[in-house]
Amino acid sequence: MSLALPVLAEPALFELQIRDHLFHPSVLYVPAGEKIKLLVLNQDPSPEEFESFSLNREKVILGNSKATLFIGPLQPGQYHFFGEYNSDSAQGVLIALPEEQWQQRRADNAN
Amino acid sequence: MRFSPSVFYAVSGALMLLVSGHSLADGRVVDKVYHPYVQALERGVEYRYFYQRQADHPDNNTMGQKLGYGFSVAERAALEIYLVADRVSPEDYKLSGYELELRWMLTEQGQYSADWGMLFELERQNNQDNYEFTTGLLMEKEFGPTSLTLNMLAVYEWGKTLNSEWEAEFRAQYRYRWRPAIQPAIELYVGENYKGAGPSLMGVHKFDKQKQLKWELAVIMAIDNDTVDRTLRFALEYEF
Repeated sequence: MSLALPVLAEPALFELQIRDHLFHPSVLYVPAGEKIKLLVLNQDPSPEEFESFSLNREKVILGNSKATLFIGPLQPGQYHFFGEYNSDSAQGVLIALPEEQWQQRRADNAN
Repeated sequence: MRFSPSVFYAVSGALMLLVSGHSLADGRVVDKVYHPYVQALERGVEYRYFYQRQADHPDNNTMGQKLGYGFSVAERAALEIYLVADRVSPEDYKLSGYELELRWMLTEQGQYSADWGMLFELERQNNQDNYEFTTGLLMEKEFGPTSLTLNMLAVYEWGKTLNSEWEAEFRAQYRYRWRPAIQPAIELYVGENYKGAGPSLMGVHKFDKQKQLKWELAVIMAIDNDTVDRTLRFALEYEF
């Protein structure tokens, strides 16, 4: 019997950039069913707030700064997010893919 | 985690059953259930109201109001200053004191199995040299589209017309994040001479950019014989 403590896996890291009050990418694919770490880099000089009611997250990112959000585990589906300070332009969607589709997407991107 | 309404009802029921044993704190037990989050650059004004009713109870017709102005002082800390007014029958309605509050976000939302924060409040009663210091832990945990928020608070009172004493307060809220404007919840409050629970409704309406109006309404009913029968709680917060 092992007495070793379980090693908690670090959540997969995804990156989102804010430039000219737009999210890049505006569509972000992530795996469903596991927690993810989302690094949001605000390259604009003004602050922006990442907000999503369906993800239950809101986070202010100061100008030329970055912030980390922890999201999920999510059910497969689409989750809309927007920039509260510039909601006319800063819009995006996070798509959580089921395991099979996520693996397929990774394989396609690797080829 | 897949949500089913039965989870909401089961947790709601568990909250109702939680109320047992000896309780302490007096004063305004029914108040805001604090979330453990702070946003950088947050700023807002807030109005809170409560009213208690039971014809033959000493707390009948008790009413309290708070008007506050708050702002973040760091990425994870926010200050709020309140004017407090109340009426404890048969006394008249009056401006009764001032309060300074600090909220401190301890963990990033979603990083751990639950999110944690702390609350520090100092209240001074007008013309009586009475003080009340409150501190404690704020916790929130997501269950799919629902959130459970717990406030576990310790209160110390002292002053000219008060016996110095430690008290404890417990507040809980289980909320279904149905849609931004309408989020039903159930709330539970335990303090000295008070044990109550009841339904609440809250929501947020967004205006331009970061301007938004948050509202909360709750009807809390006694769940023991000592507690005043009905308490109405209402709050409005305008963030800009």
